[in-house]
Amino acid sequence: MQSSPNMLTKFESKSSRAKGIAFHPKRPWILVSLHSSTIQLWDYRMGTLIDRFEEHDGPVRGIDFHKTQPLFVSGGDDYKIKVWSYQTRRCLFTLNGHLDYVRTVFFHHELPWILSASDDQTIRIWNWQNRSLICTMTGHNHYVMSAQFHPKEDLIASASLDQSVRIWDISGLRKKHSAPTSMTFEDQMSRANPNQADMFGNTDAVVKFVLEGHDRGVNWVAFHPTLPLIVSAGDDRLIKLWRMSDTKAWEVDTCRGHFQNASACLFHPHQDLILSVGEDKTIRVWDLNKRTSVQSFKRDLDRFWVIAAHPEINLFAAGHDTGVMVFKLERERPASAIYQNQLFYITKEKHVKSYDFAKNIESPSMLSLRKLGSPWVPPRTLSYNPAERAILVTSPADNGTYELIHLPRDATGAVEPTDSKRGQGTSAVFVARNRFAVFNQSSQQVDIKDLSNSTTKTIKPPVGTTDIFFGGTGCLLFITPTSVALFDIQQKKQLAELAVSGVKYVVWSNDGLYAALLSKHNVTIVTKTLEQVSSLHETIRIKSATWDDAGVLLYSTLNHVKYSLLNGDNGIIRTLDQTVYLVRVKGRNVYCLDRNAKPRILEIDPTEYRFKLALVKRNYDEMLQIIKNSSLVGQSIISYLQKKGYPEIALQFVQDPQTRFELALECGNLDVAIEMAKELDRPKLWDRLSTEALAHGNHQTVEMTYQKQRNFEKLSFLYLGTGDQEKLSRMAKIAEHRGDFISRFQNAIYRGDVEDRIQMFKEVDQYPLAYLTAKSHGLTEEAESILEACGLTEEQISLCTVDEPLQVPRPIVPTFKSNWPVKAAAHSSFEKALLGEVGAAGEDAAANGYDIEEEEEEAAAVHDALEEEDEDVAGWDMGEEINVEEDVDFVNVDSVEGGAGSSEADLWARNSPLAADHVAAGSFDTAMQLLNRQVGAVHFAPLKPRFLEVYKATKTYLPATVSLPPLVNYVRRTVEETDSRKVLPIIPRDLETIANDDLQRGYAAMRANKLEEGVEIFRGILHTLLVNTVSSEAEVEQAKKIIATAREYILAMSIELERRPLPVDTPEGLKRSLELSAYFTMPKLEVAHRQLALISAMKFAFTNRNYSSALSFANRMLANGGSAKLLDQARKIKAQCERNPQDAIDIEFDQFAEFDICAASHTPIYTGSPSVTDPFTGAKYHEQYKGTVCHVSQVTEIGAPASGLRLFVPSQN
Amino acid sequence: MDPFSAEGELINIHNAFHQGQYTSVIDFDTAALSPENQLPARILKLRAQIALGQAEEVVTETDAESEGDGEADLAAVKALAQHAAGDNDAALSTAHDLAENYPDNASVQVLCGTVLHALGNSEEALALLSRHQGNLEAVALIVQIHLQQNRTDLAIKEVQAAKRWAQDSLLVNLADSWLGMRVGGEKYQSAFYVYEELASAPSTSAPLSIVGQAVAEIHLGRLPEAEAALSAALAQYPDDVQIIANTIVLNVLAGKPSDELEARLKQVQPSHPLLVDLEEKSAFFDTAAAKYAPKVA
Repeated sequence: MQSSPNMLTKFESKSSRAKGIAFHPKRPWILVSLHSSTIQLWDYRMGTLIDRFEEHDGPVRGIDFHKTQPLFVSGGDDYKIKVWSYQTRRCLFTLNGHLDYVRTVFFHHELPWILSASDDQTIRIWNWQNRSLICTMTGHNHYVMSAQFHPKEDLIASASLDQSVRIWDISGLRKKHSAPTSMTFEDQMSRANPNQADMFGNTDAVVKFVLEGHDRGVNWVAFHPTLPLIVSAGDDRLIKLWRMSDTKAWEVDTCRGHFQNASACLFHPHQDLILSVGEDKTIRVWDLNKRTSVQSFKRDLDRFWVIAAHPEINLFAAGHDTGVMVFKLERERPASAIYQNQLFYITKEKHVKSYDFAKNIESPSMLSLRKLGSPWVPPRTLSYNPAERAILVTSPADNGTYELIHLPRDATGAVEPTDSKRGQGTSAVFVARNRFAVFNQSSQQVDIKDLSNSTTKTIKPPVGTTDIFFGGTGCLLFITPTSVALFDIQQKKQLAELAVSGVKYVVWSNDGLYAALLSKHNVTIVTKTLEQVSSLHETIRIKSATWDDAGVLLYSTLNHVKYSLLNGDNGIIRTLDQTVYLVRVKGRNVYCLDRNAKPRILEIDPTEYRFKLALVKRNYDEMLQIIKNSSLVGQSIISYLQKKGYPEIALQFVQDPQTRFELALECGNLDVAIEMAKELDRPKLWDRLSTEALAHGNHQTVEMTYQKQRNFEKLSFLYLGTGDQEKLSRMAKIAEHRGDFISRFQNAIYRGDVEDRIQMFKEVDQYPLAYLTAKSHGLTEEAESILEACGLTEEQISLCTVDEPLQVPRPIVPTFKSNWPVKAAAHSSFEKALLGEVGAAGEDAAANGYDIEEEEEEAAAVHDALEEEDEDVAGWDMGEEINVEEDVDFVNVDSVEGGAGSSEADLWARNSPLAADHVAAGSFDTAMQLLNRQVGAVHFAPLKPRFLEVYKATKTYLPATVSLPPLVNYVRRTVEETDSRKVLPIIPRDLETIANDDLQRGYAAMRANKLEEGVEIFRGILHTLLVNTVSSEAEVEQAKKIIATAREYILAMSIELERRPLPVDTPEGLKRSLELSAYFTMPKLEVAHRQLALISAMKFAFTNRNYSSALSFANRMLANGGSAKLLDQARKIKAQCERNPQDAIDIEFDQFAEFDICAASHTPIYTGSPSVTDPFTGAKYHEQYKGTVCHVSQVTEIGAPASGLRLFVPSQN
Repeated sequence: MDPFSAEGELINIHNAFHQGQYTSVIDFDTAALSPENQLPARILKLRAQIALGQAEEVVTETDAESEGDGEADLAAVKALAQHAAGDNDAALSTAHDLAENYPDNASVQVLCGTVLHALGNSEEALALLSRHQGNLEAVALIVQIHLQQNRTDLAIKEVQAAKRWAQDSLLVNLADSWLGMRVGGEKYQSAFYVYEELASAPSTSAPLSIVGQAVAEIHLGRLPEAEAALSAALAQYPDDVQIIANTIVLNVLAGKPSDELEARLKQVQPSHPLLVDLEEKSAFFDTAAAKYAPKVA
């Protein structure tokens, strides 16, 4: 039987014969007891030997970990059972009693018991807490080869060379050793009257069943974890399956296949499988239900002695003549594929499911792949084709098969696929919309097939190719054990090759520009042309990888999620408690599949790698953002920055003054360094700072540091160097004070002060020197006085010849006055960004056209621009009657029926009664007709840019046959629609853009006092809305509000614009100015803007002694509320005005009356007086303006009959 | 065997031509081709030259040897070159001649069909093209003519018929995409896939495919993606008129200024449909607007 391709060896050790194995229940550890008397503790994940325990004498056969305590037990041929602590790494005690080899030892799952089986034909139970033997089970009449506790019940199974398997009931023992209070009367009775006693009167453990069926000695027996089943392995080369009930036990079946002694067997903890090992050098896997061989694995030379299963994870270990191997039966990596927001994957039940990342929803099963491959072999890969909605699944069964299946439209449950196409192949991937590649390893051939599964092309891959992967559109990646090759399918040629060994998976970045090649311990990042970008090594196995949208690779090892930037910088993101397969990263979420093929979301903190990425890309804004929004001030980041040569950035993070100081010095930021030095105030730091500052030529700092250090000599010298005479003399004084003559002498020399020098010499009784100095400087008088003082005469002294006296060089430039020109401590662009933030905010305030504070302004403007619920839309008489005129509104569009059909543009005009759609169709005349009817539009010239804009946006130009003009296609807003009677054109600048963009620009113009511009913007809004469509009734309302808002702003701005040029030195001019400034306050602007109007009106009125008006404005301002400063002003003016509430100039403005303002003449229209309205904007006019073009819209005719603007037809949606 | 079929030796040059990679067509090494394929390859090269604006050279070259073996084929190329060079009358008469004398020559069908259609004789072109015998280029041209005549129904029939016998040919796929862009709905997406596939593979990427991809994105309402594609393409091929034209459309849709691009387009190809159309519409607007006036001026 050939070895199965599915058995995956995870770890192998080399040693002498392994007789016993035990998995640690939690950690990746395995204990191996050897024939050579050693016990080894391995970390099978890292592949390292953790410890060795050598106290047994002779072979150690039995070994077991305690489930919860840091203990393990071993039993050997020295008849001893030893209990060890792996923490203290020593044997705690030895249990003596067996009279022959101990074959197996096991801990009880909850009681403090150890079960041992021995060649002395007994099975014994020991209490490891009080270290006593509590039960001896006799009955077997040959060596007992193994004995195990039942995982739940009070049963023991034992196997013996007497050819029998025995099941023992130990409930009596449990009762005896449980707390005595729990003993009921019946218990006492039953104990008093032992009716089940065996022949030795022992009631603690009684034989329940004796299973006979093996023809030779039985080597191993094991309980099923949940079912009442037992499996045994014997020297008759058979594996026998037994079943038991409460009263009896019987043989179920036999698994035949081993051709030498079967040494051990067990049930698969999770699946319906039996595993057995034997001296025939095989591991065999059997189907529990059919008792047929599922797969087998053969070693060349080593006989197997023992097998163990991990209690939780899907791992097994088998001990053989030369060591131990840890393996699993099948791959646990769920096959999956990603397309946009969807993950397609195959569950453990072999169902195809999809998962929506955005909605976090798992679909129901879409397909069942139960029949794919063999039942115990999960599919290996899944490839998805969005264009055809098809999947390509490969399975390693039968030397590799693939299947091409179309996914059903809706997931309705696990249906069997109906139209699948299949074939032989090791791997298969989609390479284009309608092509897939199938690789056959045995024939070393790649077939390119179309969707009907017929081969269109055949490619010979490089020799030794083991796998193929998608290589970008139209390309394939061939993987050989030592290299990866990129192959263009169409041109049938190899484009590139890269020597990377052992690549197992290829993960493409979302933009398809990079790929990560994963091998067992390496990740190699390459470009799409297979140029290596970086590579990294991990000591632990790399399991999976996925790309962040920003081009960061996230990969998972057995126990970590890590990241790698393109440049190879990597780090740990988080730890994993179980192995997962990453499929996607989005923001803080990592999506992955666990080993049960369940989608899971892991939270991660992407700050670190985003920060590093920003650093690499020099995206300082982003870095700033990250610094502000997270607490990323770890030592690691700082040292990273320092290492990468960004001390100035690191400086931004560090709080610790010492580190800050170091960083500041490193990046030459003296200011910070000084600050920190002051804070720390340590001589060593001052010293270093002075050196650094000196190197910078920053002598003021140097001076300061010397002063701090009281380093007088250096200070003097510095003053000499900088030419600061004044300070130099001060230094001399200080020296005098201190009585430090050397210093004084020095200073005197620096200053060229001969008198002082002589004076000093005299003071220290150095008369000869004093004399000499005086003499040499030609100070004869002084010299003589010295002689006199000494009582000598000139003749008594012999003098050497004296040259010119020493002159102190003097600095040419008065350097001391300021620092030497120092290169401005270059602010890194990062720092600039930091500063820029502040600067920009300041500018904002400065750009304010009005000279008042308006802190609230911004907030108010950002507020939903359309928040004017109380806005009075009087005069806006497009109401319910819209629908009445529906049919009338349709303008018949002539269309030509003939050889050529009508273009889609013609259809648009036919399909819609909206002016915008007619404009888009290029049917300007009908559009104008519609607008004329709806809103009385008569002056179209201002609409021309809008008309052309809408028209321009509707057509794309698709180059087709060369030499012919491009094919014109029509852009629709009804993207999903194909019915020619329903298609409608796209209209640029939708309501949302207007509200979020144009309107805000208008407000900004108002705020910045750019009124001409503001009028243009708001008028633009009106025009844009006039030729537009919306998608709901609610949006119609919103559009109406925007129209009203625009009208009010245009009106307000026009009033103010009229006022500005007016002369105020004539009485008429002044009066009109006052009136207009009062009217300016009337339009319904945003509150913040109305305050602007009010304050200017108030001030203007106040300065012209119109106290009554000013008072009313002040009152209105106070009513509106707002910034304190503003209100203060208002209060002050109010207080002043209240003393004399009279208007000096009588103006036509009744603060108490209701009135509108005529948009043409800018005069009041009091309620009740006749007026006309513009049908589009709703602006009010005096009657004489009827029939003229509206001043607000500049398009519509005032007072024209109109049905109201239509922007929306319900049936269109 | 059809030399253009997937296994034929002309497949690469043929595909390169229809993917708009004209320089690689011209650079294509034809020395290794079998003798019977030399002529078709040469014609493709000449057509590529025309596409690159070297029509005059092609006229001269074909003039010299419009006798002999490939007489009709080369004459057809000449007609196309004449048309491209602006000599429409000569082109039309050559095309008429050839259509009459060699209506079954594949090159004549395609090239003269192109000329005839371009000069407004679409019906005649269709009649000529309808005589084709499994010539995919002719099919594609027919589809285009139908689409330009807004006869989507006929174009659908044509594509479906062609799909039956040449499902995977590049030309059929392209024609299907042209059609898809007109039909819309789900077809936008499939058209997008076709162009995306072409545009993303380094060996097939050309302005033609990028524009196709971007146009599909526009139709699908995915403006940011379209913008990414077009701005990258514009940087790479600053003078490609279709890229410019579609970028203008995109900018208008995205509310961005497009004046500069319009000026550039005007410079590169003043006769581009977009400009001509706008001109026309602008005048139309003025006449239409003139009909209205306020009652009181």
